[in-house]
Amino acid sequence: MRDSFASVRSVNATGSALKGRLSKAITAVLFAITALLFVTSSLAGDPGPVIPKGQGDECVADTAFMRRNHMDLMVHQRDDTVLEGIRGAAFSLSECVDCHAQKDEQGKAIRVDDKGQFCQSCHSYAAVKIDCFSCHAAVPDSSDNTAGLRPLPNKDSVTAGHSAEPDASPVAGLGHSLADQIKGHLQTDAQ
Amino acid sequence: MPSNSDHFNSGQARRRFLKQLGLLGTAAVTSSYTLLEVRKANAAASPAVTNTKRWGLLIATDKCSSGCDDCVRGCNEEHGLTSSGRDEIDAQWIRKIDLQDKLSGRKSSLPVMCQHCESAPCVDVCPTGASFKRADGVVLVNSHTCIGCRYCMMACPYKARSFIHETLTNQLAVAPRGKGTVESCTLCVHRIDAEEDQQPACAVACSDAGHGAILFGDLNDAGSEISQKIAAQGATQIRSDLELNTGVRYTGI
Repeated sequence: MRDSFASVRSVNATGSALKGRLSKAITAVLFAITALLFVTSSLAGDPGPVIPKGQGDECVADTAFMRRNHMDLMVHQRDDTVLEGIRGAAFSLSECVDCHAQKDEQGKAIRVDDKGQFCQSCHSYAAVKIDCFSCHAAVPDSSDNTAGLRPLPNKDSVTAGHSAEPDASPVAGLGHSLADQIKGHLQTDAQ
Repeated sequence: MPSNSDHFNSGQARRRFLKQLGLLGTAAVTSSYTLLEVRKANAAASPAVTNTKRWGLLIATDKCSSGCDDCVRGCNEEHGLTSSGRDEIDAQWIRKIDLQDKLSGRKSSLPVMCQHCESAPCVDVCPTGASFKRADGVVLVNSHTCIGCRYCMMACPYKARSFIHETLTNQLAVAPRGKGTVESCTLCVHRIDAEEDQQPACAVACSDAGHGAILFGDLNDAGSEISQKIAAQGATQIRSDLELNTGVRYTGI
């Protein structure tokens, strides 16, 4: 019995020695890979994204905090504003745009989601798509960015066209079925 | 002794792990301090809306003339509603409707926008909860969760909602709008939330043009001008048979 125990113990000792050697080898390999990555990246000269500087001395919170948390702050405030009407809080998207939108040589604001601009430079580096600006303004509000807007056609002409119909429809303009509903309702009231 | 050195190694690893945990904890404490600062920074914001107020409009149709679209223009300008060049798909937050009573021949003209119903059919049918009613009675679309199914447009008895069919550019900061979502009159929440005594753009445009046909106010406050006028003159809800308790009321139809 004693002999057999001894042999088991010796097998165990050999096993742990092997494990120790293996883990050392793995550590060495990992270390080598890390070192290689470090050397490669510094050789490639990856400077990270080049981010244009915003206006003013500091952001609404410190840079490291904003880098990590801006998305949560914005989503949180978005819900507060849309659902509960809380306005003027510190982390509004429009304020990001106000400070971080750059201007071109003509003094015209550049969209923050244009290539190389504040939002886009970092987001393309991190390969994270931003879809804020398919709806939200990407430049600060000013008279010059609405100058190119096409005004809605004059509805007067549409109204005139309809009222000139010989049938003298009580409904002029748009939304016939709604007008019919209202008309029907008014007649019900009159009866 | 291999087993001893193993123990030594794992002890060291454990110590290293605990040290890292400590650093992580410090980081967490630091960021919670920053979160406190966040709360402080937000103290200047306007308070959340409550149901003590219920915003509404009273439209005096006797002051509203056929062919006048000052309110529509005011609204379009405020929210950057522009033409796509195809009239049939353009967004309309306010439409002018002309009526004629067949019996008497009496004509009237009225702007029809989202009626901000208390029991809003659009809110009932929305599959994602994007169509919702705020505590102060304003019915809105949360574009972040709108999937553009247009069920609300089918449900609305007033045809008050529009769908954005094409990619938009040059939106205004106060009115984010994007392709594939439904939108309608917001009662200019961006104005009325931010400051006291602000009026929706349509009411401002109407009074600036000297018509004064659109009155905005708090329906819950018996002392407000709108409530007193409704109490004195009475006011009609369009399709009152649906019992939606609309926030927009009309006189003279």
